[in-house]
Amino acid sequence: MCTVYLVAFVFILTAEQCSSSKLMEDSDLSLMERMQAGKTSFIYFGNHVNPTIELFIEQLQMSADALEDYGITVVMVNCSKDDIAKYCTGEKLLTKAYLFRGSEVLRSFDIDTVFDVNAIVSHVLFSVLFNEVLYVHTPAELLRVESAAKQNSDIVVGHIPVLGLAEHRALMEAAFVYGTKYQFVQTTGSLVLKHMGVVDPSSSQARLWFLNCKSVSRQSDPCSSTAMSKPLNTINIHTFLQLMEAPLVTEAVTDPSEVDVVYIHLSVPVLYLFSQPQTQHLDRDTAQTVALQLRGEVGVVLIHRDNPKVKTPLKYNVAYKLPQEDVKYFTLSAPEEVVKFFKEELLQKHKIEDEEEDEEHWSDLDILDDEVSESVYRDRDLLLDLEFVSELTADTFQTTVKQNKITVVLFYFKWDAVCMAFIQSYVEVAEALEDVNGVELAAVDCGEWTDICSDQNITSFPTVLIYRPKAAAQPYRGMMGTKSLHRFILLSLVSSPVHLSSSAEVMSFLEGDLYRKHVYLTPVRVLGLFSSMQDMGISSFEEAARLLRGETIIGLFAHEEAAKWVEGLSVNLPALLVSHGPALPHQVFSFPSSSATDHVKLIQRVELERFPELTVENLPWYLELEKPLLLLFIGKEESTESTSSLAEIKQLLGSGQLDSFLPCWIHLGRTPVGRSILEKYLGFVPPLPSLVISQIKTGGEVFLFPPERPLMAENILLWIRDVEDRHEQPAGLIPDVKWGPPVPFFDFLAIMDQEAPTYAAQKAPKTKNGGRENHKEQNHVTPNQSQGPHPSANPQAPRRHSEL
Amino acid sequence: MSVIQSVFRLLCVLVLLLTTTASGLHGCNNTLSHEYCVLGAGPAGLQMGYFLSRSQRDYIILERNAGPGSFFNIYPRHRKLISINKIHTGRRNKEFNLRHDWNSLLSDRPDLLFQRISQELYPSADDFPRYLSVFEKELGLKVIYGADVGRIKASDFNGHQGYVLTDQNGLSYECRVLLVSTGLWVPQQVGFRGSDLVEGYESIPTDPEEFKDQAVLILGKGNSAFETAQSILGRASRIHLYSPSPVRLAWQTHYVGDLRAVNNELLDTYQLKSLDGLVEGRLEDIAIVRREKNGKRRAAKKRNPTSTKKNESLYLTLTELLDDHNGTNKVTGQNLPGYHTDNFSLRQPYDRVIRCLGFRFNFSIFDGSARPPQSSGARGRLPGVTAWYEGRGTPNMFVLGTAAHSRDYRMSAGGFIHGFRYTVRAVYKFLEQRYHNIAWPTTNLPISQLQSWILRRVNEASGTYQMFGVLGDIILLQGSHCKYLEEFPLQALPQLSALSGHSVSDHGLLVLVMQYGLNQTDTLGPGRAESEWTKAWKSNFLHPVLYYYKTLPTDKDMRQRPVGWPLPRPEAVHHMVEDFLTEWDQPISHSQPLRRFLEHCLQTDLRAFYAESCFLLSLTSGNPPLFCHQGYLRKQGIVGNRHLWQHAREAGLMADAALSEDASVTEYLNHAGAAVISTVNFDL
Repeated sequence: MCTVYLVAFVFILTAEQCSSSKLMEDSDLSLMERMQAGKTSFIYFGNHVNPTIELFIEQLQMSADALEDYGITVVMVNCSKDDIAKYCTGEKLLTKAYLFRGSEVLRSFDIDTVFDVNAIVSHVLFSVLFNEVLYVHTPAELLRVESAAKQNSDIVVGHIPVLGLAEHRALMEAAFVYGTKYQFVQTTGSLVLKHMGVVDPSSSQARLWFLNCKSVSRQSDPCSSTAMSKPLNTINIHTFLQLMEAPLVTEAVTDPSEVDVVYIHLSVPVLYLFSQPQTQHLDRDTAQTVALQLRGEVGVVLIHRDNPKVKTPLKYNVAYKLPQEDVKYFTLSAPEEVVKFFKEELLQKHKIEDEEEDEEHWSDLDILDDEVSESVYRDRDLLLDLEFVSELTADTFQTTVKQNKITVVLFYFKWDAVCMAFIQSYVEVAEALEDVNGVELAAVDCGEWTDICSDQNITSFPTVLIYRPKAAAQPYRGMMGTKSLHRFILLSLVSSPVHLSSSAEVMSFLEGDLYRKHVYLTPVRVLGLFSSMQDMGISSFEEAARLLRGETIIGLFAHEEAAKWVEGLSVNLPALLVSHGPALPHQVFSFPSSSATDHVKLIQRVELERFPELTVENLPWYLELEKPLLLLFIGKEESTESTSSLAEIKQLLGSGQLDSFLPCWIHLGRTPVGRSILEKYLGFVPPLPSLVISQIKTGGEVFLFPPERPLMAENILLWIRDVEDRHEQPAGLIPDVKWGPPVPFFDFLAIMDQEAPTYAAQKAPKTKNGGRENHKEQNHVTPNQSQGPHPSANPQAPRRHSEL
Repeated sequence: MSVIQSVFRLLCVLVLLLTTTASGLHGCNNTLSHEYCVLGAGPAGLQMGYFLSRSQRDYIILERNAGPGSFFNIYPRHRKLISINKIHTGRRNKEFNLRHDWNSLLSDRPDLLFQRISQELYPSADDFPRYLSVFEKELGLKVIYGADVGRIKASDFNGHQGYVLTDQNGLSYECRVLLVSTGLWVPQQVGFRGSDLVEGYESIPTDPEEFKDQAVLILGKGNSAFETAQSILGRASRIHLYSPSPVRLAWQTHYVGDLRAVNNELLDTYQLKSLDGLVEGRLEDIAIVRREKNGKRRAAKKRNPTSTKKNESLYLTLTELLDDHNGTNKVTGQNLPGYHTDNFSLRQPYDRVIRCLGFRFNFSIFDGSARPPQSSGARGRLPGVTAWYEGRGTPNMFVLGTAAHSRDYRMSAGGFIHGFRYTVRAVYKFLEQRYHNIAWPTTNLPISQLQSWILRRVNEASGTYQMFGVLGDIILLQGSHCKYLEEFPLQALPQLSALSGHSVSDHGLLVLVMQYGLNQTDTLGPGRAESEWTKAWKSNFLHPVLYYYKTLPTDKDMRQRPVGWPLPRPEAVHHMVEDFLTEWDQPISHSQPLRRFLEHCLQTDLRAFYAESCFLLSLTSGNPPLFCHQGYLRKQGIVGNRHLWQHAREAGLMADAALSEDASVTEYLNHAGAAVISTVNFDL
């Protein structure tokens, strides 16, 4: 019986679209026959057609198709042709429709009530199923239904705030199909909603619950309820009831991808848990617990690993499969995590509607929205491995930092996400430098060794300091990343400045053996040229070199031959010579002043390239120039276009025509995030190479070099002129918005005011009279234990304290 | 330096010469001058001495006894300190460990902690003067012992009110600033008929044998009463405790001055009906009377207490039942409450009545002009002081230590060593600002570091932890930076600028306070602990609370603050949910809600970003987030690695881009490592 209905049930989903109408038009004769046959039919008597009626008849036709599946015929009688006694007369003609079983009227409906196909089907089915579907108003009524159903059958409770809508129809159709199997209950009231634990009963959402009453072992036990989380429609109810019918946990002995269970056919997510023979009971319990919590939404399969067909590696303990997707494997540590993962990540994603928007909104607050915190948090199951880093304590700190040529010390907090993100890079560097003599990487946990960190004046975390014996600690000011720190430490091993004693050594420093020794760290060499060791400027140059130790390789050549290196250049000694590589021409600068900090600034500036490739690590240096960027984006693949466009811009460098810009380029292969930059600038990614002007600090306009024009030097110049003369339209705009709080404020004060109105309120100005009266009343006091029915000592005696 | 000061200096040198060359030869006209006089070498006096000595101020500590902390030579009478000396905390954080060390004084000497003297959780009282002695000697504090100051009068030094102290030898001390740390040692008494028949806590025998089979009535229900009861519990026949208010248990009220569980064995014997008991009633209404063996009853008052015979019983009765007030009337059975109410609780006679009512401040040494008023709370036993611990109406006289407890009486720990060591430090900072123009020390922080700094303080600071609700950290917001002031007395907040030397900017300020909660639930019952951060304001246990004000609260705001609050209603408030382990460092429950609160107060995004995100934001936004501003754009970006980026991308928080770059980092490292090994010599 049930399966027949089931087929019908599924069938109607497709049958609805059928074009040929099943609506019968009866004469009085055929009507008579129909009534004698004892069938159920829904009959409308009409005599003329107005626009309202016409619409109704359309709906009636549609309902005929739908109701046919339930063995109910929909009939229309034209009273103008056949005048049927009782029904074709009177005021009610036209505005009423009737449900007959045989010749007996089961119910009459206003056509306002049965206004459309959903209303017709739901009301008709509800009337037909009058004895099967119980209508409850109060929790007490529901409890009565429950206790009657216990150990007997399960209950399906539908809350239908408005009758006659699609949800109502879906529930009734389900009741028609499953009515013999489950006790169906319909309710409209908010009392029952509250009883079912709905937080906001005012919402006009239709809901459905499944109450497991059949399996309760004792009459006194409550029926456990499972709410359907998806919207109420025929498919969802069907799936939900099937799921509730399916065993809580299915067990299997094949790999997840091979498992064939009912859930897959129902198109619900499937969760796979694993079991080993020795822990079988435990695993089964876990699976049951998880399944109970995910019931109605997810199917749970327990896979026994002892079967050779199971090939899932041991490191994975959970797998899942979303409908129409492949099985995904992962590792979680606790059943709660599995539930959380499913509830919060998978099901949320797949939810069509945000049902309880408010609730979700606040539970969102527990999701980390900080990329650093979140990425560190995801590693919380990993133990911090500081294998190559020595952890210093108050006892070892002083001795350690004096022991090595270079001791690098990281000051960190364990609970600070940024520190913990960086410590991974730090460990990588330590590992890479493990075999380097004279370098030790150490770390101080400032949560524990707060005194060390205070003594070292650490106010920013993470901080890296470089200690050398007999020298003040040098702060590491570079990028907090593996590459930068590694390079810095190796460069720190090079003495700064490198003292050069002959022109041959200078040669070697700039492009010979000395150069090659460190070329893998940096191609740039900076050389201070002084005419003699007596030069007064040398000390501040040396100071600058010390400050820049680890950042730049700096040489010092104080010798009469130094002049030779600036011969023919418009600079006198002392001078600064910069080489960006062996084959490249040297640049020479004179010192602007004699202060070490000015030297540092000069050296940092001259080190910059004229046409740099922008990378994540070097951008800040170039942004400091505060010039608009003339930015060329180059694709991942090497192409002649890329090389030629680079060459075209390079060609322009010497002319000085690009001086108001910072000409630079981004290689999307090495700096993939460049693609996102293009997208943000233009809204799309143009064909590469692509040239833009980005006025980050000056107006925020972005101009795109017309992709159809060849990227040639003269075209570029023309385009730049057009941009400057405002003949070009900006292709995009860089927003200059302030970064406000990313989420709304969780206002404790507002909550206090709501929950405890006086708690957070300022007191009214004081009126001084209370308190004293109390005293007088206590004149008559009889001491006694205040516990018994004795003459009472006053328990309200002034609350004073007698002991410090 | 002002003229006054130099005159003082001169005098001081002179006097020092005098005292060193001719010590003991104090003439009547001898006068010593000091910028700071500290009265009393107890824990508070020595604590202040340490700070004054550290900043090389001209100070002297005057002590009437021969050694420091003489109170502890007598008290507690049963010689067990109930201040916790927890040495093994499992932590090595010195600041954190002070949260559980209630006896040590503050100093920069890590070896000058109380644990050097005693390893006991509840140490012997004898250890404390020993500790103070070591503290004083090793820090070389200037203490004059045996100087018993009997008179203090105010004096005008060129328009500046100072104080002149006179000792038992007539020697005078002229003090520009007087710091009173005399403690509380005068036993508190209540006048009632027969109070002369009562023995005092200060003089009772401590040998339990002396109480053998005696019925004892103890007046008071504080720690000294219970301590006394506990010591005689095994000998006395019955012990009754009588005082106006019911027992307040420290573990319920969180006030360490209330009855500590260390002393509460009598509660057990009371509730298990083992002959002991507690009774409430007013002390002023009772009378203690005696009754003779021969049946003649006489008013007790007439008898000389020295002739007391052991077998003469003492009865408790009510003043209103006595016929007359002149004391000549005989006490008959009708004068006893048992005659009127046959089951009157205290109807049986006692062998001893002991007064354990605590101590009061010694006001008697102050001349009218120099006498601070009696506090409104604490039965007037304490001097009234301002929020910065200056005596009310006695400028340039500050009260330190237990005597300064009126500010937080029955609220916090200001009456106890583990509390007032911090208020003394706060007063010292006030002095530095007022008399030497040295502003309250601050730490300047970029805003991006504020959150981790707050978390650091919340997880280790001892001053705000011990002096909960009284001392708080103040954060003066100044745009991209802020100034962090530690452990400022909250009640003095309206006078912040004058007292600290720092002004409040338009950006407002934050105040970080540790607080217990509403305490409306059963202390040990279900639902006592809150774990949901969204309900953090309902936390019952000590937890951090942040207050945000756009402008400095005024005195009026402070007076009208919500009932039970340490501060007025702020612009916004944030409670960090109580933590079972008092470790407020978890990302979801502690850090992120705190960050969002700070974001609201500062109206800026405080999230952290990897360098790659900052790179993107720096090129595509005119105004990248603060973290990028204060980190990446200063060339200090957090680069991260492939593994972390993967996580961030999976979480949908980081722009997705192919991960090719990182492969090159690994290659780079391999290459670099190899190159390093092959490099012979780094020293060029």
